[in-house]
Amino acid sequence: MSLLDIRSLQRSEIETYIREAIKYRNACTSGEPVPQVSGTVCLLFFETSTRTRASFESAARKLGLHGSFVAPATSSIQKGESIRDTVVTLDYAGVDCLVIRHPSPGAPHQAAEVFDGGVVNAGDGCHEHPTQALADLLTIISRKGTVEGLTVAIVGDIVHSRVARSNAWCLTKMGARVRFVGPRTLLPKDCSLLPVETCDNLAAGLSDADVVMALRLQRERMNGYDLGGLAEYTQRFQINRESLKLAKEDVLVMHPGPINRGVELDDFAADSTFSAIHNQVENGIYVRMAVLANEFDKLRGDA
Amino acid sequence: MKTLLKGGRLLDPSQDLDIIGDLLIENDQIVEMNGQQRLEKGDTTIDCTGLWVCPGLIDLHVHLREPGFEHKETISTGTQAAAAGGFTTICCMPNTDPPLDKRAIIEYVVTRAASSESGGIFVAPIGAVARGMGSEHLAEIASMKEAGIVAVSDDAAPIQDAEMMHQAMQYCKMLDLPIATHCEELSLTRGGAMNEGAVSAVLGLKGMPRTAEDIQVARNCVLSISTGCRLHVCHVSTWGAVETIRKAKSLGAPVTAEVTPHHLILTDDAIDGFDTNCKMNPPLRTQKDVDALREALADGTIDCIATDHAPHSQHEKQLPFSDAPFGIVGLESAVGLILTHLTHTGLLSPLQTIRAMSTAPAEAFALAGGTLIPGELPAAQITIIDPDLEWTFDVRKTFSKSRNSPFHGWQLRGKPVMTIWGDEVYRDGVMDARVSTQ
Repeated sequence: MSLLDIRSLQRSEIETYIREAIKYRNACTSGEPVPQVSGTVCLLFFETSTRTRASFESAARKLGLHGSFVAPATSSIQKGESIRDTVVTLDYAGVDCLVIRHPSPGAPHQAAEVFDGGVVNAGDGCHEHPTQALADLLTIISRKGTVEGLTVAIVGDIVHSRVARSNAWCLTKMGARVRFVGPRTLLPKDCSLLPVETCDNLAAGLSDADVVMALRLQRERMNGYDLGGLAEYTQRFQINRESLKLAKEDVLVMHPGPINRGVELDDFAADSTFSAIHNQVENGIYVRMAVLANEFDKLRGDA
Repeated sequence: MKTLLKGGRLLDPSQDLDIIGDLLIENDQIVEMNGQQRLEKGDTTIDCTGLWVCPGLIDLHVHLREPGFEHKETISTGTQAAAAGGFTTICCMPNTDPPLDKRAIIEYVVTRAASSESGGIFVAPIGAVARGMGSEHLAEIASMKEAGIVAVSDDAAPIQDAEMMHQAMQYCKMLDLPIATHCEELSLTRGGAMNEGAVSAVLGLKGMPRTAEDIQVARNCVLSISTGCRLHVCHVSTWGAVETIRKAKSLGAPVTAEVTPHHLILTDDAIDGFDTNCKMNPPLRTQKDVDALREALADGTIDCIATDHAPHSQHEKQLPFSDAPFGIVGLESAVGLILTHLTHTGLLSPLQTIRAMSTAPAEAFALAGGTLIPGELPAAQITIIDPDLEWTFDVRKTFSKSRNSPFHGWQLRGKPVMTIWGDEVYRDGVMDARVSTQ
C-alpha cells in the first residue's frame, strides 16, 4: 500500500514496479489492449506542476481510471483547511487513491496516516520523488541493458533536489554507484546517511561515469549566496560537448526537467543521441501506470 | 496543626544534605528538620519511607501562553500541570499576545497566577527584553521588575543586533536582573525545521545548523564578560555551546545555563517519520551533542534542567512538518524522564538531580526556593518523589491543555507524588480541592 518514498522499498519491490512498467510499455507501444483498472484517483497538488501532472493524468487515462485534479488555488485549501481534513474529505468522497505533491517533506506520509486508500508521493519538498526515480531507472535499464555496476553522476543543485535523493536510493539499491556532484554550496552538508559519494569538482565527478544526470538550478529556492554568478556556474558545472568528454564514451545524459537550456545543459547534451531525456518522459507514464495499478490491485486484495 | 513528613530521604542541595529523616511543617513553614517536637492530636503524619523529600522543583523555562493563546494553555492549566510535575515555582516566558513587556501585563499574570483558579504554586514572570518582542527598543524593564519579573528574555525573538544586546545587558546589570537568552543567529536558520546534518539531508528538510547557536552563545558570553551582566543561556543543545560556556565560566563570567530533558535524551533520528512532536527550537541534535550535554550537566557546566514547556494544540501540530510550530509540553514528564535516563543510570546522583531541578535554578534567578532549611522561605516548597514508581507517561491524562509530546507511551521510573507550597497542592494524580474545584 502507498508509495511514499524509495528509501523504504526493498529491491524486489522496485523490480516489480519496473517489470510491470515494461508490460504496460509493451502493451501501449504494440497497440494491444491495456489491462484496465476501475476506480477513482485524485491528484492533489499543492505545488505547480506540468510534466508530473500530465504524466499521472495520462497514466490514469490509459488504465481507465476516473481521475480528478485538485490544486490549492481552486480548493478549500485556500480557505484554510488542513491537509488532513482535505484528505479525509476526499476519502469520504469516494476517492480510492491519492497522488500528492506538496512543498513540505513528509506531507504524503502524514496524509497516508488518515487516508484509507493508497497514497502516492508525487514529490514532497526536497525529500523524494519516487515515480521520477522509477522512470529514470527504467530509462537506464532500457538504454544500458542493466544498472548493476554502473556509475551515475548526478550533477548540479543537489541540496534542493528530491529527484537526486530518490535516485540515490533507487539506483544504489539496484546495484549502481551514485555520485553527487556540484558546488559545495549546493550539496547537503552531511551526506553520511545517503548512499552516495560527493564531489565538488566536475572533472572528478564525471570520470568513468556511465550516466550523467543534470539537475535544474532551483533558483526559486536559492539566494544570492549560493553561487558566484550564473556564468561561473555554467563554466564549471554545465554538462556540454566539452565536459561530456570527461565521462565514458557511451555516456547517457539525463535530466528530470524542466531544463534551463544553456545553464545546466547545452543543446548538444540535451539533443544529441547521448540524451535520454525524452525516454525519461515516456517511461514516466509507464512507471506511473504500474504504480497506480499496484495501488488498485492492493485495494482489491484488501476487499 | 502540624504535618510531619516522616522517614523520607531528605535531599537538600542547599546544605549538601542527603540523609533519612523527618521534616515538620507548621503554619505553611518548615519548622524543624529531625527535631524533637511532639505531634499532638489533630496533627498529620505522612509516611515518606522510600520517598525523596526535596526542595520544591523549579522550572526556569515555561510557556504559559496566556494572554493570547489560551487554546494552547492557560495560567490555570499550566500551573496545575506544573504542580502535577512536582514544580513549586515556574518562570513563564514573555512571548504571549500581548507579550509580557509592560508593568500592567506583568501585574495581570501575577494576579491570575495567585488566583484560586491556578495550581497553587508560584509563577515568577520573565519580561521581554524588547518592547513588543522583536522590536529595536528596550521594554520598560525597571517597571516590570517592580511588578515582579525575575529575569528578562528574548526567547522566541532572539536579539540579532549586538549593540542592542550589549545595552540590554548594561541595563540589566544596573537592575541586577539576569538576561535569559535564546541563542540563534537567524540568518543561518531561516526556514529551517530541524538540525542541519545527515538526517536533514536524507529527509530533505531545511536544516538549522549548530553554528547558529554556537555563534550567539559565544557573542552573549563575550557581552556578559564585558558588561558583568548575569547571562542565563536557555536550552543549550550543541557541544560547541557547552565548550563556550565552560570557557566563559572559567574566565569568571556570571553565566548560568539550562538544558531540557528532550535535548538530553533524543537525537534528530527521532524525526525520521516526520513526527511533529519532535520539532522544537533549538532542534534535536546528534548523539555527540547529547553526550556533551550529559557530561556538562554532570560536571556543573550546565547548571539547570528546564523543560521549555511549549504547548501547542493538536491542529497546529498536525500541520506538515515544515509548517508545524516548534515546541513540546514538558512539565509532567520531566521528573520521570530525568530519573529514568540520567539518575537511575548513574550519570547524576540524587543530590545532583535535585540541585539541577531546584537549588541551581533558584540561585540563577535569585528565587525564594531550592532549600529545606527551616524558616528560610516565606512558605514551605517541597516536592516528594517516589524514585522507583514505574509508570507509563500518557499525555492524554495530563493537566496541560495540550498533548504535543514525543514521550507519550514511554515507560518511566520515578514520579512526583506530592507537591507542597505552604500546604499540600497535589497528591497522587489529584489536585488539592482548593485548586481542582474550578
